[in-house]
Amino acid sequence: MLSFENAPPFSAPLRFFLTAPLFAVLAGLLLVIEGPVVFASRWTPGALAATHLLTVGFMLQVMLGALIQVLPVVAGADLPRPLALARAVHVGLTGGGLLLVGGFWFGLPWALAGGALLLGLTVFLFLIVMWRALLGVPSTSPSIRGIKFALLGLAVVVGLGLLMALALAEGWPLPLPLLADLHAGWGLAGWAGVLLAAMAYVVVPMFQLTPGYPARPSWWFPLAILAALLVWSIGVVFDLPWLVRASQLAAAVAGITFAGLTLRLQGKRRRAKADATYRYWQMGMMASILALLMLGIAAVWPAASELDGWTIGFGILIVAGGFLSFIVGMLYKIVPFLAWMHLQNYGATKATAPAMPRLMPDVEVNRQMQAYGVALVLLLAAVVFPDWLGRLAGLAFALANGGLAWVLFRAVGRYRQAWLDMTLKLAIKKK
Amino acid sequence: MTTIRTFMTDDHHRCDEFFAEAEQAIGKKNIEAARASFGHFRTAVLAHFDSEEKTLFPTFEAKTGMTMGPTQVMRMEHQQMRDLMSQAQAAIDAGDTDEYMGQAETLLIMMQQHNMKEENMLYPMCDQHLSAELPAILERLETELCAE
Repeated sequence: MLSFENAPPFSAPLRFFLTAPLFAVLAGLLLVIEGPVVFASRWTPGALAATHLLTVGFMLQVMLGALIQVLPVVAGADLPRPLALARAVHVGLTGGGLLLVGGFWFGLPWALAGGALLLGLTVFLFLIVMWRALLGVPSTSPSIRGIKFALLGLAVVVGLGLLMALALAEGWPLPLPLLADLHAGWGLAGWAGVLLAAMAYVVVPMFQLTPGYPARPSWWFPLAILAALLVWSIGVVFDLPWLVRASQLAAAVAGITFAGLTLRLQGKRRRAKADATYRYWQMGMMASILALLMLGIAAVWPAASELDGWTIGFGILIVAGGFLSFIVGMLYKIVPFLAWMHLQNYGATKATAPAMPRLMPDVEVNRQMQAYGVALVLLLAAVVFPDWLGRLAGLAFALANGGLAWVLFRAVGRYRQAWLDMTLKLAIKKK
Repeated sequence: MTTIRTFMTDDHHRCDEFFAEAEQAIGKKNIEAARASFGHFRTAVLAHFDSEEKTLFPTFEAKTGMTMGPTQVMRMEHQQMRDLMSQAQAAIDAGDTDEYMGQAETLLIMMQQHNMKEENMLYPMCDQHLSAELPAILERLETELCAE
Protein backbone atom coordinates (compact mmCIF):
# COMPACT_ATOMS: atom_id res chain seq x y z
CA MET A 1 0.00 0.00 0.00
CA LEU A 2 1.37 3.37 -0.85
CA SER A 3 1.37 5.73 2.06
CA PHE A 4 2.30 9.03 0.32
CA GLU A 5 4.11 10.07 3.46
CA ASN A 6 7.14 7.88 3.07
CA ALA A 7 9.62 10.66 2.30
CA PRO A 8 12.97 9.53 3.73
CA PRO A 9 14.77 11.82 6.21
CA PHE A 10 16.83 14.65 4.66
CA SER A 11 20.11 13.06 5.69
CA ALA A 12 19.39 9.97 3.56
CA PRO A 13 19.90 11.61 0.13
CA LEU A 14 21.94 14.56 1.42
CA ARG A 15 25.02 12.51 2.34
CA PHE A 16 25.37 11.48 -1.33
CA PHE A 17 24.89 15.03 -2.62
CA LEU A 18 27.53 16.42 -0.27
CA THR A 19 30.11 13.71 -1.00
CA ALA A 20 29.85 13.81 -4.80
CA PRO A 21 31.46 17.26 -5.36
CA LEU A 22 34.47 16.20 -3.28
CA PHE A 23 35.18 13.40 -5.76
CA ALA A 24 35.04 15.93 -8.60
CA VAL A 25 37.48 18.17 -6.69
CA LEU A 26 39.80 15.16 -6.44
CA ALA A 27 39.52 14.64 -10.21
CA GLY A 28 40.60 18.25 -10.75
CA LEU A 29 43.50 17.88 -8.33
CA LEU A 30 44.56 14.69 -10.09
CA LEU A 31 44.88 16.68 -13.31
CA VAL A 32 46.95 19.31 -11.51
CA ILE A 33 49.30 16.63 -10.13
CA GLU A 34 49.57 14.45 -13.23
CA GLY A 35 49.45 17.26 -15.77
CA PRO A 36 49.42 16.84 -19.57
CA VAL A 37 50.07 13.07 -19.50
CA VAL A 38 46.43 12.41 -18.58
CA PHE A 39 45.36 13.88 -21.92
CA ALA A 40 47.70 11.58 -23.85
CA SER A 41 45.47 8.48 -23.78
CA ARG A 42 42.33 7.15 -22.12
CA TRP A 43 44.35 4.14 -20.93
CA THR A 44 46.79 6.11 -18.74
CA PRO A 45 46.44 5.42 -14.99
CA GLY A 46 45.54 9.09 -14.45
CA ALA A 47 42.81 9.12 -17.11
CA LEU A 48 41.27 5.88 -15.81
CA ALA A 49 41.34 7.22 -12.26
CA ALA A 50 39.87 10.61 -13.25
CA THR A 51 37.10 8.96 -15.27
CA HIS A 52 36.03 6.82 -12.31
CA LEU A 53 36.30 9.73 -9.88
CA LEU A 54 33.60 11.41 -11.98
CA THR A 55 31.46 8.43 -12.99
CA VAL A 56 31.55 6.43 -9.76
CA GLY A 57 32.49 9.17 -7.29
CA PHE A 58 30.16 11.85 -8.60
CA MET A 59 27.50 10.43 -10.93
CA LEU A 60 26.78 7.11 -9.23
CA GLN A 61 26.72 8.79 -5.78
CA VAL A 62 24.12 11.37 -6.74
CA MET A 63 22.07 8.99 -8.88
CA LEU A 64 21.67 6.34 -6.17
CA GLY A 65 21.03 8.98 -3.48
CA ALA A 66 18.41 10.68 -5.65
CA LEU A 67 16.70 7.36 -6.46
CA ILE A 68 16.29 6.63 -2.74
CA GLN A 69 14.56 10.02 -2.48
CA VAL A 70 12.36 10.01 -5.57
CA LEU A 71 11.26 6.39 -5.91
CA PRO A 72 8.32 6.85 -3.51
CA VAL A 73 7.16 10.03 -5.32
CA VAL A 74 7.70 8.97 -8.92
CA ALA A 75 6.79 5.29 -8.69
CA GLY A 76 4.79 5.14 -5.46
CA ALA A 77 7.13 2.36 -4.36
CA ASP A 78 7.93 2.04 -0.68
CA LEU A 79 11.53 1.58 0.44
CA PRO A 80 11.32 -0.18 3.79
CA ARG A 81 14.30 1.40 5.63
CA PRO A 82 15.58 4.29 3.53
CA LEU A 83 18.05 5.63 6.10
CA ALA A 84 19.70 2.26 6.73
CA LEU A 85 19.92 1.69 2.97
CA ALA A 86 21.39 5.16 2.41
CA ARG A 87 24.03 4.61 5.11
CA ALA A 88 25.14 1.26 3.74
CA VAL A 89 25.17 2.33 0.09
CA HIS A 90 26.97 5.58 0.88
CA VAL A 91 29.76 3.88 2.81
CA GLY A 92 30.14 1.18 0.16
CA LEU A 93 30.19 3.64 -2.74
CA THR A 94 32.62 6.04 -1.10
CA GLY A 95 35.01 3.34 0.13
CA GLY A 96 34.73 1.27 -3.04
CA GLY A 97 35.12 4.32 -5.26
CA LEU A 98 38.27 5.50 -3.46
CA LEU A 99 39.83 2.02 -3.55
CA LEU A 100 39.05 1.56 -7.24
CA VAL A 101 40.48 4.96 -8.14
CA GLY A 102 43.56 4.32 -5.99
CA GLY A 103 43.99 0.98 -7.73
CA PHE A 104 43.94 2.64 -11.17
CA TRP A 105 46.08 5.62 -10.26
CA PHE A 106 48.83 3.83 -8.36
CA GLY A 107 48.59 0.51 -10.19
CA LEU A 108 47.62 -1.56 -7.14
CA PRO A 109 45.91 -4.83 -8.17
CA TRP A 110 44.57 -5.50 -4.65
CA ALA A 111 42.94 -2.06 -4.46
CA LEU A 112 41.47 -2.42 -7.94
CA ALA A 113 39.94 -5.81 -7.17
CA GLY A 114 38.93 -4.82 -3.62
CA GLY A 115 37.30 -1.57 -4.78
CA ALA A 116 35.45 -3.29 -7.61
CA LEU A 117 34.22 -6.05 -5.28
CA LEU A 118 33.02 -3.53 -2.69
CA LEU A 119 31.25 -1.49 -5.39
CA GLY A 120 29.74 -4.65 -6.86
CA LEU A 121 28.44 -5.74 -3.48
CA THR A 122 27.02 -2.29 -2.69
CA VAL A 123 25.23 -1.98 -6.02
CA PHE A 124 23.95 -5.54 -5.70
CA LEU A 125 22.42 -4.67 -2.31
CA PHE A 126 20.89 -1.50 -3.79
CA LEU A 127 19.46 -3.40 -6.75
CA ILE A 128 17.92 -6.08 -4.51
CA VAL A 129 16.14 -3.44 -2.42
CA MET A 130 14.97 -1.54 -5.53
CA TRP A 131 13.83 -4.71 -7.24
CA ARG A 132 11.73 -5.73 -4.22
CA ALA A 133 10.23 -2.23 -3.97
CA LEU A 134 9.37 -2.11 -7.67
CA LEU A 135 8.11 -5.69 -7.85
CA GLY A 136 4.40 -4.92 -7.54
CA VAL A 137 4.57 -1.54 -9.30
CA PRO A 138 3.09 -1.57 -12.82
CA SER A 139 4.87 0.57 -15.44
CA THR A 140 2.06 3.11 -15.76
CA SER A 141 4.35 5.93 -16.90
CA PRO A 142 7.44 6.16 -19.11
CA SER A 143 9.36 7.30 -16.02
CA ILE A 144 8.63 4.15 -14.06
CA ARG A 145 9.57 1.92 -16.97
CA GLY A 146 12.64 4.06 -17.58
CA ILE A 147 13.81 3.57 -14.00
CA LYS A 148 13.36 -0.21 -14.29
CA PHE A 149 15.36 -0.29 -17.54
CA ALA A 150 18.07 1.93 -16.05
CA LEU A 151 18.47 -0.44 -13.09
CA LEU A 152 19.04 -3.24 -15.59
CA GLY A 153 21.72 -1.09 -17.22
CA LEU A 154 23.28 -0.51 -13.79
CA ALA A 155 23.50 -4.26 -13.19
CA VAL A 156 25.29 -4.79 -16.53
CA VAL A 157 27.75 -1.87 -16.23
CA VAL A 158 28.79 -2.91 -12.72
CA GLY A 159 28.99 -6.58 -13.71
CA LEU A 160 31.25 -5.75 -16.67
CA GLY A 161 33.34 -3.41 -14.53
CA LEU A 162 33.85 -6.08 -11.89
CA LEU A 163 34.84 -8.60 -14.54
CA MET A 164 37.42 -6.24 -16.04
CA ALA A 165 38.86 -5.17 -12.68
CA LEU A 166 39.36 -8.80 -11.67
CA ALA A 167 40.83 -9.59 -15.10
CA LEU A 168 43.30 -6.71 -14.71
CA ALA A 169 44.22 -7.71 -11.18
CA GLU A 170 44.54 -11.41 -11.93
CA GLY A 171 45.92 -11.12 -15.46
CA TRP A 172 43.03 -12.99 -17.16
CA PRO A 173 43.25 -12.90 -20.97
CA LEU A 174 40.22 -10.80 -21.97
CA PRO A 175 39.81 -8.32 -24.87
CA LEU A 176 39.88 -5.36 -22.45
CA PRO A 177 39.59 -2.44 -24.94
CA LEU A 178 36.46 -3.94 -26.53
CA LEU A 179 34.96 -4.68 -23.12
CA ALA A 180 35.86 -1.20 -21.86
CA ASP A 181 33.88 0.39 -24.71
CA LEU A 182 30.93 -1.86 -23.95
CA HIS A 183 31.22 -1.08 -20.22
CA ALA A 184 31.19 2.64 -21.01
CA GLY A 185 28.22 2.17 -23.33
CA TRP A 186 26.14 0.36 -20.71
CA GLY A 187 27.17 2.86 -18.04
CA LEU A 188 26.67 6.11 -19.93
CA ALA A 189 23.75 5.15 -22.18
CA GLY A 190 22.03 2.19 -20.49
CA TRP A 191 22.27 3.35 -16.90
CA ALA A 192 22.95 7.11 -16.78
CA GLY A 193 21.27 8.07 -20.07
CA VAL A 194 18.09 6.10 -19.50
CA LEU A 195 17.84 7.23 -15.87
CA LEU A 196 18.37 10.83 -16.98
CA ALA A 197 15.54 10.50 -19.51
CA ALA A 198 13.23 8.93 -16.91
CA MET A 199 13.95 11.88 -14.59
CA ALA A 200 13.73 14.45 -17.40
CA TYR A 201 10.18 13.29 -18.23
CA VAL A 202 9.27 14.42 -14.70
CA VAL A 203 11.50 17.38 -13.91
CA VAL A 204 11.69 19.30 -17.21
CA PRO A 205 7.93 20.05 -17.31
CA MET A 206 7.93 20.49 -13.52
CA PHE A 207 10.82 22.93 -13.11
CA GLN A 208 10.39 24.88 -16.34
CA LEU A 209 6.63 24.62 -16.94
CA THR A 210 7.13 23.19 -20.42
CA PRO A 211 4.62 20.95 -22.20
CA GLY A 212 5.04 17.29 -21.25
CA TYR A 213 7.24 14.96 -23.30
CA PRO A 214 5.20 13.36 -26.09
CA ALA A 215 4.16 9.85 -25.03
CA ARG A 216 5.46 7.77 -27.93
CA PRO A 217 9.14 8.87 -27.96
CA SER A 218 9.27 8.76 -24.15
CA TRP A 219 8.14 5.13 -24.11
CA TRP A 220 10.49 4.22 -26.95
CA PHE A 221 13.70 5.97 -25.94
CA PRO A 222 14.72 3.62 -23.08
CA LEU A 223 13.78 0.60 -25.19
CA ALA A 224 15.79 1.86 -28.18
CA ILE A 225 18.87 2.42 -26.02
CA LEU A 226 18.55 -0.99 -24.40
CA ALA A 227 18.10 -2.69 -27.77
CA ALA A 228 21.16 -0.89 -29.20
CA LEU A 229 23.24 -2.01 -26.21
CA LEU A 230 22.09 -5.61 -26.51
CA VAL A 231 23.05 -5.64 -30.20
CA TRP A 232 26.38 -4.01 -29.32
CA SER A 233 26.99 -6.75 -26.73
CA ILE A 234 26.19 -9.45 -29.30
CA GLY A 235 28.63 -7.77 -31.67
CA VAL A 236 31.38 -7.96 -29.03
CA VAL A 237 30.67 -11.58 -28.11
CA PHE A 238 30.61 -12.79 -31.75
CA ASP A 239 33.38 -10.44 -32.85
CA LEU A 240 31.33 -8.52 -35.43
CA PRO A 241 32.83 -5.00 -35.61
CA TRP A 242 30.23 -3.74 -38.12
CA LEU A 243 27.41 -4.71 -35.73
CA VAL A 244 29.15 -2.88 -32.89
CA ARG A 245 29.44 0.24 -35.04
CA ALA A 246 25.85 0.03 -36.27
CA SER A 247 24.56 -0.17 -32.69
CA GLN A 248 26.77 2.75 -31.61
CA LEU A 249 25.29 4.79 -34.44
CA ALA A 250 21.77 3.80 -33.35
CA ALA A 251 22.49 4.80 -29.74
CA ALA A 252 23.91 8.15 -30.92
CA VAL A 253 20.83 8.85 -33.06
CA ALA A 254 18.47 7.94 -30.17
CA GLY A 255 20.43 10.18 -27.81
CA ILE A 256 20.46 13.14 -30.20
CA THR A 257 16.72 12.73 -30.76
CA PHE A 258 16.07 12.83 -27.02
CA ALA A 259 18.33 15.87 -26.54
CA GLY A 260 16.73 17.67 -29.48
CA LEU A 261 13.26 16.96 -28.14
CA THR A 262 14.26 18.29 -24.72
CA LEU A 263 15.70 21.47 -26.27
CA ARG A 264 12.46 21.97 -28.20
CA LEU A 265 10.36 21.56 -25.05
CA GLN A 266 12.62 23.96 -23.15
CA GLY A 267 12.08 26.46 -25.95
CA LYS A 268 8.36 26.35 -25.10
CA ARG A 269 8.83 26.87 -21.39
CA ARG A 270 6.37 29.19 -19.67
CA ARG A 271 8.71 30.45 -16.96
CA ALA A 272 9.99 33.97 -17.37
CA LYS A 273 13.31 33.56 -15.61
CA ALA A 274 16.22 31.59 -17.11
CA ASP A 275 17.50 30.12 -13.85
CA ALA A 276 20.64 28.08 -13.18
CA THR A 277 18.84 24.78 -13.62
CA TYR A 278 17.71 25.80 -17.10
CA ARG A 279 21.14 27.16 -18.08
CA TYR A 280 22.93 24.07 -16.76
CA TRP A 281 20.57 21.89 -18.79
CA GLN A 282 21.16 23.95 -21.92
CA MET A 283 24.91 23.59 -21.42
CA GLY A 284 24.49 19.83 -20.82
CA MET A 285 22.35 19.45 -23.93
CA MET A 286 24.86 21.24 -26.18
CA ALA A 287 27.79 19.21 -24.83
CA SER A 288 25.88 15.91 -25.13
CA ILE A 289 24.80 16.60 -28.69
CA LEU A 290 28.43 17.35 -29.66
CA ALA A 291 29.61 14.18 -27.93
CA LEU A 292 26.93 12.07 -29.61
CA LEU A 293 27.83 13.55 -33.00
CA MET A 294 31.42 12.42 -32.34
CA LEU A 295 30.13 8.95 -31.45
CA GLY A 296 28.12 8.84 -34.67
CA ILE A 297 31.05 10.06 -36.77
CA ALA A 298 33.41 7.49 -35.26
CA ALA A 299 30.83 4.74 -35.93
CA VAL A 300 30.67 5.66 -39.62
CA TRP A 301 34.36 6.54 -39.94
CA PRO A 302 36.34 4.55 -37.32
CA ALA A 303 39.65 6.28 -38.14
CA ALA A 304 38.31 9.40 -36.39
CA SER A 305 38.72 7.80 -32.98
CA GLU A 306 42.44 7.38 -33.73
CA LEU A 307 42.83 11.17 -33.93
CA ASP A 308 44.74 12.81 -31.08
CA GLY A 309 42.47 13.65 -28.18
CA TRP A 310 39.31 12.33 -29.88
CA THR A 311 38.26 9.88 -27.16
CA ILE A 312 39.39 12.11 -24.27
CA GLY A 313 37.46 15.00 -25.83
CA PHE A 314 34.39 12.79 -26.19
CA GLY A 315 34.69 11.72 -22.53
CA ILE A 316 34.99 15.30 -21.28
CA LEU A 317 32.01 16.40 -23.37
CA ILE A 318 29.67 13.61 -22.31
CA VAL A 319 30.67 13.30 -18.63
CA ALA A 320 31.83 16.75 -17.47
CA GLY A 321 29.82 18.68 -20.08
CA GLY A 322 26.70 16.52 -20.22
CA PHE A 323 25.89 14.40 -17.20
CA LEU A 324 27.55 16.56 -14.54
CA SER A 325 25.74 19.65 -15.85
CA PHE A 326 22.36 17.90 -15.78
CA ILE A 327 23.00 16.60 -12.28
CA VAL A 328 24.22 19.88 -10.80
CA GLY A 329 21.29 21.69 -12.44
CA MET A 330 18.86 19.33 -10.71
CA LEU A 331 20.70 19.50 -7.36
CA TYR A 332 20.13 23.26 -7.33
CA LYS A 333 16.38 22.66 -7.20
CA ILE A 334 16.22 19.43 -5.23
CA VAL A 335 18.45 20.39 -2.29
CA PRO A 336 16.74 23.71 -1.40
CA PHE A 337 13.31 22.16 -1.95
CA LEU A 338 14.02 19.20 0.32
CA ALA A 339 15.46 21.55 2.94
CA TRP A 340 12.35 23.73 2.77
CA MET A 341 10.01 20.72 2.87
CA HIS A 342 11.63 19.18 5.94
CA LEU A 343 11.62 22.56 7.72
CA GLN A 344 7.99 23.15 6.80
CA ASN A 345 6.95 19.73 8.06
CA TYR A 346 8.85 20.40 11.26
CA GLY A 347 7.22 23.79 11.83
CA ALA A 348 3.80 22.41 10.83
CA THR A 349 1.44 25.40 10.75
CA LYS A 350 3.03 27.11 13.74
CA ALA A 351 6.38 28.30 12.38
CA THR A 352 7.17 29.30 8.78
CA ALA A 353 10.18 27.96 6.89
CA PRO A 354 12.35 30.37 4.85
CA ALA A 355 11.64 30.21 1.09
CA MET A 356 14.00 28.22 -1.15
CA PRO A 357 16.15 31.12 -2.46
CA ARG A 358 16.86 32.13 1.14
CA LEU A 359 18.33 28.72 1.78
CA MET A 360 20.34 28.75 -1.46
CA PRO A 361 20.71 32.26 -2.92
CA ASP A 362 20.81 32.74 -6.72
CA VAL A 363 24.01 34.81 -6.47
CA GLU A 364 26.01 31.87 -5.10
CA VAL A 365 24.49 29.43 -7.56
CA ASN A 366 25.14 31.66 -10.58
CA ARG A 367 28.73 32.31 -9.57
CA GLN A 368 29.37 28.57 -9.30
CA MET A 369 27.77 27.97 -12.68
CA GLN A 370 30.03 30.55 -14.33
CA ALA A 371 33.07 28.93 -12.74
CA TYR A 372 31.92 25.55 -14.02
CA GLY A 373 31.44 26.89 -17.54
CA VAL A 374 34.98 28.33 -17.54
CA ALA A 375 36.39 25.03 -16.24
CA LEU A 376 34.61 23.10 -18.98
CA VAL A 377 35.94 25.35 -21.75
CA LEU A 378 39.46 25.06 -20.31
CA LEU A 379 39.19 21.27 -20.15
CA LEU A 380 38.16 21.09 -23.80
CA ALA A 381 40.92 23.49 -24.82
CA ALA A 382 43.40 21.38 -22.82
CA VAL A 383 42.59 18.42 -25.09
CA VAL A 384 44.16 20.44 -27.93
CA PHE A 385 46.89 22.14 -25.84
CA PRO A 386 47.56 19.73 -22.95
CA ASP A 387 51.03 21.10 -22.20
CA TRP A 388 49.81 24.66 -21.74
CA LEU A 389 46.38 24.14 -20.28
CA GLY A 390 46.23 20.68 -18.70
CA ARG A 391 47.13 21.70 -15.16
CA LEU A 392 45.24 25.00 -15.33
CA ALA A 393 42.08 23.21 -16.49
CA GLY A 394 42.44 20.77 -13.59
CA LEU A 395 42.75 23.64 -11.14
CA ALA A 396 39.69 25.39 -12.60
CA PHE A 397 37.68 22.16 -12.42
CA ALA A 398 38.72 21.58 -8.79
CA LEU A 399 37.75 25.15 -7.90
CA ALA A 400 34.37 24.99 -9.67
CA ASN A 401 33.49 21.78 -7.85
CA GLY A 402 34.82 23.14 -4.59
CA GLY A 403 32.37 25.97 -5.27
CA LEU A 404 29.57 23.42 -5.67
CA ALA A 405 30.48 21.81 -2.35
CA TRP A 406 30.56 25.27 -0.74
CA VAL A 407 27.11 26.24 -2.09
CA LEU A 408 25.63 22.93 -0.89
CA PHE A 409 27.28 23.03 2.56
CA ARG A 410 26.19 26.66 3.03
CA ALA A 411 22.60 25.68 2.22
CA VAL A 412 22.76 22.91 4.80
CA GLY A 413 24.17 25.40 7.32
CA ARG A 414 21.25 27.76 6.70
CA TYR A 415 18.87 24.83 7.00
CA ARG A 416 20.33 23.95 10.43
CA GLN A 417 20.14 27.59 11.53
CA ALA A 418 16.50 27.83 10.42
CA TRP A 419 15.75 24.61 12.31
CA LEU A 420 17.17 26.15 15.49
CA ASP A 421 15.26 29.41 14.96
CA MET A 422 12.04 27.50 14.44
CA THR A 423 12.65 25.36 17.54
CA LEU A 424 12.96 28.56 19.54
CA LYS A 425 9.81 29.99 18.00
CA LEU A 426 7.84 26.82 18.70
CA ALA A 427 9.07 26.76 22.31
CA ILE A 428 7.99 30.38 22.86
CA LYS A 429 4.59 29.68 21.32
CA LYS A 430 4.09 26.71 23.66
CA LYS A 431 4.60 28.95 26.66
CA MET B 1 -13.10 9.54 -22.47
CA THR B 2 -13.09 12.01 -19.60
CA THR B 3 -11.86 10.50 -16.35
CA ILE B 4 -11.18 12.03 -12.97
CA ARG B 5 -7.52 11.87 -13.87
CA THR B 6 -7.81 13.74 -17.18
CA PHE B 7 -10.33 16.27 -15.89
CA MET B 8 -8.41 17.19 -12.76
CA THR B 9 -5.05 17.16 -14.59
CA ASP B 10 -6.44 19.69 -17.06
CA ASP B 11 -7.45 21.86 -14.13
CA HIS B 12 -3.89 21.64 -12.74
CA HIS B 13 -2.61 22.90 -16.08
CA ARG B 14 -5.11 25.77 -16.06
CA CYS B 15 -3.69 26.83 -12.66
CA ASP B 16 -0.09 26.49 -13.98
CA GLU B 17 -0.98 28.85 -16.81
CA PHE B 18 -2.11 31.60 -14.41
CA PHE B 19 1.04 31.06 -12.34
CA ALA B 20 3.22 31.49 -15.44
CA GLU B 21 1.33 34.65 -16.45
CA ALA B 22 1.99 36.21 -13.05
CA GLU B 23 5.68 35.36 -13.24
CA GLN B 24 6.00 36.75 -16.75
CA ALA B 25 4.31 39.96 -15.69
CA ILE B 26 6.84 40.29 -12.85
CA GLY B 27 9.59 39.70 -15.41
CA LYS B 28 8.23 42.65 -17.42
CA LYS B 29 8.03 44.71 -14.20
CA ASN B 30 4.26 45.02 -14.65
CA ILE B 31 3.23 44.57 -11.06
CA GLU B 32 -0.44 45.40 -11.67
CA ALA B 33 -0.78 42.64 -14.26
CA ALA B 34 1.15 40.28 -11.96
CA ARG B 35 -1.27 41.00 -9.12
CA ALA B 36 -4.24 40.30 -11.36
CA SER B 37 -2.77 37.03 -12.68
CA PHE B 38 -1.76 35.90 -9.21
CA GLY B 39 -5.32 36.67 -8.09
CA HIS B 40 -6.72 34.41 -10.84
CA PHE B 41 -4.18 31.76 -9.93
CA ARG B 42 -5.04 31.79 -6.24
CA THR B 43 -8.79 31.69 -6.90
CA ALA B 44 -8.39 28.78 -9.31
CA VAL B 45 -6.15 26.81 -6.93
CA LEU B 46 -8.40 27.39 -3.93
CA ALA B 47 -11.44 26.27 -5.95
CA HIS B 48 -9.51 23.16 -6.98
CA PHE B 49 -8.57 22.38 -3.35
CA ASP B 50 -12.16 22.96 -2.23
CA SER B 51 -13.69 20.63 -4.77
CA GLU B 52 -11.16 17.95 -3.85
CA GLU B 53 -11.66 18.34 -0.11
CA LYS B 54 -15.45 18.64 -0.25
CA THR B 55 -16.38 16.37 -3.14
CA LEU B 56 -13.67 14.06 -4.43
CA PHE B 57 -11.80 13.04 -1.27
CA PRO B 58 -14.90 12.35 0.90
CA THR B 59 -16.41 10.18 -1.85
CA PHE B 60 -13.13 8.28 -2.19
CA GLU B 61 -12.83 7.88 1.58
CA ALA B 62 -16.43 6.69 1.96
CA LYS B 63 -16.01 4.13 -0.81
CA THR B 64 -12.60 2.75 0.20
CA GLY B 65 -12.60 3.33 3.96
CA MET B 66 -9.12 4.93 3.62
CA THR B 67 -9.52 8.07 5.69
CA MET B 68 -5.97 8.38 7.01
CA GLY B 69 -4.24 7.44 3.77
CA PRO B 70 -3.28 9.47 0.70
CA THR B 71 -6.17 11.94 0.98
CA GLN B 72 -4.96 12.99 4.42
CA VAL B 73 -1.47 13.74 3.11
CA MET B 74 -2.96 15.67 0.19
CA ARG B 75 -5.01 17.78 2.63
CA MET B 76 -1.86 18.55 4.60
CA GLU B 77 -0.05 19.64 1.46
CA HIS B 78 -3.04 21.79 0.48
CA GLN B 79 -2.63 23.61 3.79
CA GLN B 80 1.08 24.17 3.13
CA MET B 81 0.26 25.61 -0.28
CA ARG B 82 -2.46 27.84 1.17
CA ASP B 83 0.17 29.24 3.56
CA LEU B 84 2.66 29.78 0.73
CA MET B 85 0.01 31.52 -1.35
CA SER B 86 -0.85 33.88 1.54
CA GLN B 87 2.83 34.76 1.91
CA ALA B 88 3.18 35.32 -1.84
CA GLN B 89 0.02 37.44 -1.80
CA ALA B 90 1.40 39.57 1.04
CA ALA B 91 4.67 40.04 -0.87
CA ILE B 92 3.00 41.04 -4.12
CA ASP B 93 0.59 43.37 -2.29
CA ALA B 94 3.60 45.07 -0.68
CA GLY B 95 5.27 45.31 -4.12
CA ASP B 96 8.24 43.23 -2.90
CA THR B 97 9.03 41.33 -6.10
CA ASP B 98 12.14 39.56 -4.75
CA GLU B 99 10.22 38.14 -1.84
CA TYR B 100 7.39 37.20 -4.19
CA MET B 101 9.74 35.35 -6.56
CA GLY B 102 11.21 33.42 -3.63
CA GLN B 103 7.79 32.34 -2.38
CA ALA B 104 6.65 31.59 -5.93
CA GLU B 105 9.66 29.36 -6.62
CA THR B 106 8.94 27.33 -3.49
CA LEU B 107 5.23 27.23 -4.24
CA LEU B 108 5.80 26.04 -7.81
CA ILE B 109 7.91 23.04 -6.85
CA MET B 110 5.65 22.17 -3.93
CA MET B 111 2.65 22.36 -6.23
CA GLN B 112 4.24 20.35 -9.06
CA GLN B 113 5.35 17.47 -6.86
CA HIS B 114 1.93 17.48 -5.23
CA ASN B 115 0.20 17.41 -8.63
CA MET B 116 2.44 14.58 -9.73
CA LYS B 117 1.39 12.43 -6.77
CA GLU B 118 -2.28 13.17 -7.49
CA GLU B 119 -2.05 12.66 -11.25
CA ASN B 120 0.01 9.47 -11.12
CA MET B 121 -1.43 7.83 -8.04
CA LEU B 122 -4.46 9.31 -6.34
CA TYR B 123 -6.58 10.13 -9.42
CA PRO B 124 -6.00 6.72 -11.01
CA MET B 125 -7.04 5.18 -7.66
CA CYS B 126 -10.16 7.35 -7.72
CA ASP B 127 -10.97 6.30 -11.28
CA GLN B 128 -10.52 2.68 -10.31
CA HIS B 129 -12.62 2.73 -7.13
CA LEU B 130 -15.30 5.21 -8.17
CA SER B 131 -16.15 3.88 -11.62
CA ALA B 132 -19.84 3.51 -10.72
CA GLU B 133 -20.09 7.08 -9.42
CA LEU B 134 -17.95 8.57 -12.20
CA PRO B 135 -20.60 10.47 -14.23
CA ALA B 136 -22.14 12.03 -11.11
CA ILE B 137 -18.78 13.07 -9.64
CA LEU B 138 -17.52 14.54 -12.91
CA GLU B 139 -20.70 16.56 -13.22
CA ARG B 140 -20.25 17.96 -9.72
CA LEU B 141 -16.57 18.72 -10.25
CA GLU B 142 -17.43 20.48 -13.49
CA THR B 143 -20.00 22.73 -11.83
CA GLU B 144 -17.61 23.51 -8.99
CA LEU B 145 -14.55 24.22 -11.12
CA CYS B 146 -16.03 25.86 -14.18
CA ALA B 147 -18.33 28.18 -12.23
CA GLU B 148 -16.12 31.26 -12.33
